[in-house]
Amino acid sequence: MAVKAMYDYDWPSRSAAEFYGDDQLVHVWFRGNVFFVSAQTFRFPKAMPFGELVGLCKGFFAADPDFVPDAMDSANWKVDGQPITPDLDRSLEENGVGHKSLVEFTL
Amino acid sequence: MTVPAQKPVRKLSMKQRYSALTHDLDWTPTYVTEEQVFPHTTFEGIKVHDWSKWDDPFRLTVEAYNKYQAEKDRRLYAVLDGFAQSQGQLGLTDARYMNAMKIFLQGIPIHEYDAHRNFAYLARYANGPGARFAALCQSLDELRHAQTEIHTLSHYNKHFDGMHDWHKWSDRVWYLSVPKSFFEDALTAGPFEWLIAIGFSFEYLLTNLLFVPFMSGAAFNGDLPTMTFGFSAQSDESRHMTLGLEAIKFMLEQDEDNLPIVQDWLDKWFWRGYRLISLVAGMMDYMLPKRVMSWKEAFELYFEEQMLGGLFKDLEYYGIKPPRHVDWAIGEKEILSHQVYWILYQYSHAAAFSTTIPDAEDQAWLEQAYPETWPVYRDTVWNKAQRVMDEGGRYFNPGLPQLCTVCQIPMGFTEPGDPLTQCQRQSVYEGERYDFCSDGCQWIFDREPVKYRQSWLPVHQIFQGNCGGPTLPDVAAWYGLQPGDGAEYLGSPDHQNWLAWHGQAPQEG
Repeated sequence: MAVKAMYDYDWPSRSAAEFYGDDQLVHVWFRGNVFFVSAQTFRFPKAMPFGELVGLCKGFFAADPDFVPDAMDSANWKVDGQPITPDLDRSLEENGVGHKSLVEFTL
Repeated sequence: MTVPAQKPVRKLSMKQRYSALTHDLDWTPTYVTEEQVFPHTTFEGIKVHDWSKWDDPFRLTVEAYNKYQAEKDRRLYAVLDGFAQSQGQLGLTDARYMNAMKIFLQGIPIHEYDAHRNFAYLARYANGPGARFAALCQSLDELRHAQTEIHTLSHYNKHFDGMHDWHKWSDRVWYLSVPKSFFEDALTAGPFEWLIAIGFSFEYLLTNLLFVPFMSGAAFNGDLPTMTFGFSAQSDESRHMTLGLEAIKFMLEQDEDNLPIVQDWLDKWFWRGYRLISLVAGMMDYMLPKRVMSWKEAFELYFEEQMLGGLFKDLEYYGIKPPRHVDWAIGEKEILSHQVYWILYQYSHAAAFSTTIPDAEDQAWLEQAYPETWPVYRDTVWNKAQRVMDEGGRYFNPGLPQLCTVCQIPMGFTEPGDPLTQCQRQSVYEGERYDFCSDGCQWIFDREPVKYRQSWLPVHQIFQGNCGGPTLPDVAAWYGLQPGDGAEYLGSPDHQNWLAWHGQAPQEG
């Protein structure tokens, strides 16, 4: 629905991909863990290998004292709701991760 | 000489006087068209055939308004003076209580001022004199509320952290973007939508949920100034409620084509308002040392019973249905406050209030108030936070949360019936993805995506480099936070001072 206004109402997004250059926003969701109250938003290079994201997660989620970083190696992954088997050497982009994509894992 | 008998001066009745000083000051323009004088009341699609049908049940005049309000303000300022002279802050239940007031002071007065501005605009741009006059009174009320709230809380600023830069914070800090986006959404809507948003949904539908717990909370916790401000504002609020109800009835009675538009706005603004006052839920159940009632009880009494059971039965006559997504809100009443406070707890290092783990007394209260859901959160998050604390740490989330594009709250709300799985909703508009915490917020976005894609989401703005820099100290400096404003309550300057004022030894910080 168009916004009702006295003129042709059209304004751009304040979160558009173009604001982040070669990077993009990525939401990482540790599904089933509410110690991290919500999914986390990061700014990552599009060309960053997926394996690097896994490595960062191992450090980040260690704020939960019960987190076992090595469990990440056998995590199940989804990108925007679709199950994937990430290719760790390929980039986020090549693994289907776009701007503001939801990267979800369960342990 | 004969003196002619003087004719007795005819005194106007109250009703005639009101009419003479308000409606009778109106005139029909002849040099220009009505559309030219009132250009903003048609584009929203609301059809009005007879503006004179707008009734103002209070029949106030400017003179009467000034007289009542001056008297009320005099009483309020006398209480504030007395409180300051007698060092009333020492009589609070606990310094912890002030955290709730900090959120109120940081989040609300600036938007009272916004409301003042928009009602002043309506006092000029509404076609009918009844509507204009009612808007004028409310505009003055909102300005007074902004002022009296600031004065009420200014005394506390001398004794507590987290109050010194409320104005700057309300523009910049992440959780204050929640009320800011709510009010700016309403301000940028048309005049009729504003009336449904603020006049009806906020001031009528949700006002008791907001006001009663806040002011009773103040009374229970020794906060005399806030309580007095609350009572002082209450008589204005009843006028605002009447204006809100009058507005919706007026629109519905003027033309049946208005019904679907009004219903849509009601659906939208119920959900916007409900998400906004989820902050009150967290405050009521976790931040008041002495509690009045639980959020769940307040929701049942002031919303389910009074609004769904009362108001909406009356509005049925016009074809109005209870708000869309109301069942989702009812389903959340057992978990809402737990989730909101858990958000506040883990991000309070980047905030101007402090939080702490509920102590044994708090936990006992939570257990009896929420026998089903409190144990779930105690076992999954609070016990773990306590372990971190016992090992000499303090759990703060090390990153930035995913935010809902509409309500702007970190996406910590869960799927209906599943308190441990966060709700994830996404919409794609013109090739870009947007995230939402609930069906309600997603529905609001999907109606007007071009409006909400402009959301100034604090997390995205930080990542774009618009908030002082990439690190937490950079952002905190840009926010204007000082050490002591946020983080953990135990051992904080507020806590240490409180102990010292009461002759107790300071705790190990």
